[in-house]
Amino acid sequence: MKLGTKLTLFNTISKLVIVVLFVLLLPVLIRDINQKYTDNWLRRQKDKVLKLVQGEGIKKYIQNGEGYGSYNALLKEEYVSMDVDSTNEHIDTIINEARVVERDTIQYRILSHTFKVGNQNYLLEIGKSISTINETTTPLQNIALEILLGMVLLTILADQVYSTYVLRPLGRIIKTKLIGHKFPRPTPYRKVRTTTSDFEYLDISIHKMIQTIESTFQKEREFISNASHELMTPISILQSKIENMFGSEEITDEVKERLIEMQKILNRLKAITKTLLLISQIENDQFLKEDTVQVGELIQEVYDEISIRLQEKNIKLSINIPQEWTLVRVNKFLLFNLFFNLINNAIKYNKKGGEINITGIVENKQCAIEIADTGIGISQEKLPHIFNRFKKFSKSLQQDSFGLGLPIVKSIADFHQVKIEVRSEVDKGSTFRLILSPEIMK
Amino acid sequence: MNVLIVEDEKALTTEIELFLAGNNYLCETCYDGRTASERIATNLYDFILIDLGLPDYDGLDLLKEAKKHNPEAACIILTARAEVSDRIKGLDLGADDYLPKPFSLLELQSRMQAITRRKFGLKNSVVMLGEFEIDLTNRTIAHNSVLVNNITKKEFDLVAYMLLHKNRTLTRSQLSEHIWGSVVNDDYDSNYIDAHIKNIRKKLNAFGAPDWLETVRGLGYRINLNS
Repeated sequence: MKLGTKLTLFNTISKLVIVVLFVLLLPVLIRDINQKYTDNWLRRQKDKVLKLVQGEGIKKYIQNGEGYGSYNALLKEEYVSMDVDSTNEHIDTIINEARVVERDTIQYRILSHTFKVGNQNYLLEIGKSISTINETTTPLQNIALEILLGMVLLTILADQVYSTYVLRPLGRIIKTKLIGHKFPRPTPYRKVRTTTSDFEYLDISIHKMIQTIESTFQKEREFISNASHELMTPISILQSKIENMFGSEEITDEVKERLIEMQKILNRLKAITKTLLLISQIENDQFLKEDTVQVGELIQEVYDEISIRLQEKNIKLSINIPQEWTLVRVNKFLLFNLFFNLINNAIKYNKKGGEINITGIVENKQCAIEIADTGIGISQEKLPHIFNRFKKFSKSLQQDSFGLGLPIVKSIADFHQVKIEVRSEVDKGSTFRLILSPEIMK
Repeated sequence: MNVLIVEDEKALTTEIELFLAGNNYLCETCYDGRTASERIATNLYDFILIDLGLPDYDGLDLLKEAKKHNPEAACIILTARAEVSDRIKGLDLGADDYLPKPFSLLELQSRMQAITRRKFGLKNSVVMLGEFEIDLTNRTIAHNSVLVNNITKKEFDLVAYMLLHKNRTLTRSQLSEHIWGSVVNDDYDSNYIDAHIKNIRKKLNAFGAPDWLETVRGLGYRINLNS
């Protein structure tokens, strides 16, 4: 999940949780507030009544020991009552209690207060029905919920806009510096514009790392190039000496046979050095891409060169490439080597009486060349490593090789933006698919 | 023919000189560019072999001088620095051939022979091998004027190379270097040469026995020709 999405999701959830909590707590809070308000109101009423009693005398309300009662007639929301209090206790409380008023039992908030006029104690009760107290709770809850939800939506929107803005440099760093970055192709440093110091640091660090990696690559390539160049002259001297000795009349055939052994070993050294040099030259972009090549013709040329190798194992090779397939802006020498090595492998790792099929296919509007053999195949665990240098898998093979055939193929393919896909099944055969980039197709 | 070898590796110079002298070339050697420059200005040569990696001189400059003072001479560049651009520059400056190190001495002689044929327009390039006529110009083999027409390019290359180095045993390595030398390849095995020779023999046997083509047991192949 992307960072921006995660932040938005978290913001939304956390805000919703807070809103829900608040809305749930609202009734309790409102009840509390209402109760305090009601209590104050009750006390004020009490003071008013006491003042009235003081001014007008208790007799106006209570005569012959008969209590006074007054109700808010219809709905019985409030009531006031006064009576003679026979007990001699002093009461001054506010509590919730039920009262029966004209056969209705109603919950009231009741203020009870005793006061003295002359020698007589009186009890005053003022009540307010609880349902009137609570009737505001639900609408308040609803309004609060609506307003809060609106506000949450607004802040989420604002968060979203801001986090997108703030995170944009990160996205740009990922897009331009990390995705699709191909080593070892040096790229100029382009600063990603940001006011966030963390991103600035990240950008610079990534750039420095890429630079380090690239300079290491560069050094490795230079080293391989220099080393193989330096080896050429000594190899040349040895080769000439062996050839001259071999040609001389004075030495015996036994010595000559040993010279041939030496020559073979020297050839091995030569092939390795030449291959490393070729790969380093490709990677250093020393080859021009100026040739126009008809694929079918090129493969036919490779076939002419290699057909003798089919004979020994009696392998059938078929070429089926559309006539009009022509590659432009390529290097013919390199492509020749690419096909030579692939077909050579297809022969080398094939079985007696096997087959090799070279086919041009079009899939998803992309042209590809498939080289399929019926050979020993490559196991799944070895498949990811076949393009690594000096990896040799089949020790039992009669022919010698030093594990640089496929690295050559890979270097040349990369150089021409040709993608290689390999499918293989042990004992069934391998298929190498070369996907040709539209840039090199005519 | 006079050959000037300009090469700073003395050991290599010695071997080239030894080989070419054995093939009737007259060789002079020099190990640095300054001496070479003087020799080129004063003497005339048929062949000048120039190493591009001289310590004191740019080999390409030497090539320019050679073209000026020895316009008739064929120049072959020998180099360990097989930069692709060097090759193009060398050929642009008029070098007749370009041989990257490490090269086979047989290959060097073969290139020199080819240049000689080209430059001096050798017309009579048909060689009789037993009952067979080998036409090096038209690259054909015939038997009593009947063309052996199924000989492939590679097979002719092999015959021509062995013919050039006649009476000399060529190893499988030397032969495969000649015909597959330009391919950069995973193999260093050269047994495919046997298959080629087998095919050549089979094709020629339909006309007559190619008894001049000898298998030298354990060593290689040889074309015997007494002239």
